[in-house]
Amino acid sequence: MKLKATIEHKPNIPTASMADIAFLLIIFFMLTITFEVDKTQVVLPKTTLRYEIPKQSAYVSIDPNGRIRVSDGNEQSALVSAADEVLSMAAGVIAMDPQKVFVVKSDGEVSWEKVDEVIDALKRAKVRDVYLLSDQRTVTDG
Amino acid sequence: MKLDRDRPDDEIPTSSMADIAFLLIVFFMITTTFTATRGLDFALPEDDDDPPVVEKEESVLIEILPSGELIVDQDPMQLHEIIPYLKPKLERNPKKPVIIRPDTATPYKYMVQVYDELRQGEDHGLAEPINISVPTQREIQSFWY
Repeated sequence: MKLKATIEHKPNIPTASMADIAFLLIIFFMLTITFEVDKTQVVLPKTTLRYEIPKQSAYVSIDPNGRIRVSDGNEQSALVSAADEVLSMAAGVIAMDPQKVFVVKSDGEVSWEKVDEVIDALKRAKVRDVYLLSDQRTVTDG
Repeated sequence: MKLDRDRPDDEIPTSSMADIAFLLIVFFMITTTFTATRGLDFALPEDDDDPPVVEKEESVLIEILPSGELIVDQDPMQLHEIIPYLKPKLERNPKKPVIIRPDTATPYKYMVQVYDELRQGEDHGLAEPINISVPTQREIQSFWY
């Protein structure tokens, strides 16, 4: 009797759809990524109301030691020595884009005097829209 | 005679595509930082050299001491008592300015706390948003009397 030769199946893992999944993930990350222009470590004040800040907003950050950093929203933030430099930077940014949104990212323990200087500089530079960056206040925060 | 010709492979080599794709995923995963991108909007009024004069009696003054204590129209007050205090005044005059004046040594978080509370006025039964004003030290020195 003639025996049928058994067909040998090569073991393989189906990977055809792997690239599809991978590219789907890439598209997700590409759409959601926002490059952080300011990496100052601060403990933000907590608020109940929080609104989404427009992308590519300019940043003025104040760290717990009172050091001020500024960014036009495109470049990485740079240290400035005084609030007057915030005024010149903000005036330059507003001259290019009068609708530019500024974000004040300050540590909650910084004295009001320091934040006041920054807000005053933004006011003098004719900045209209300012956001005070904050964390979400929860019921446990009291 | 049978010719033994090597037939060219008609498949597009895609075996490395997944490697490249995962390399890109790893790059995006590492560079993505989930940061706080929300905050309180703080519309700045135009820097006017000749601002409208507001009589002291017409406005409500909230002073914030460095300890975080609040003095509203000369009286100490808790944060949650501000809106009930303002309610009858704002019902009579919804445009009444409410001025927040923190001490220079007051931590910034206390000012944000008060500002956040006032912004929630409508949630606490007020008909209109509160007319909040936070004058800077320069404005206080120039125009305060």
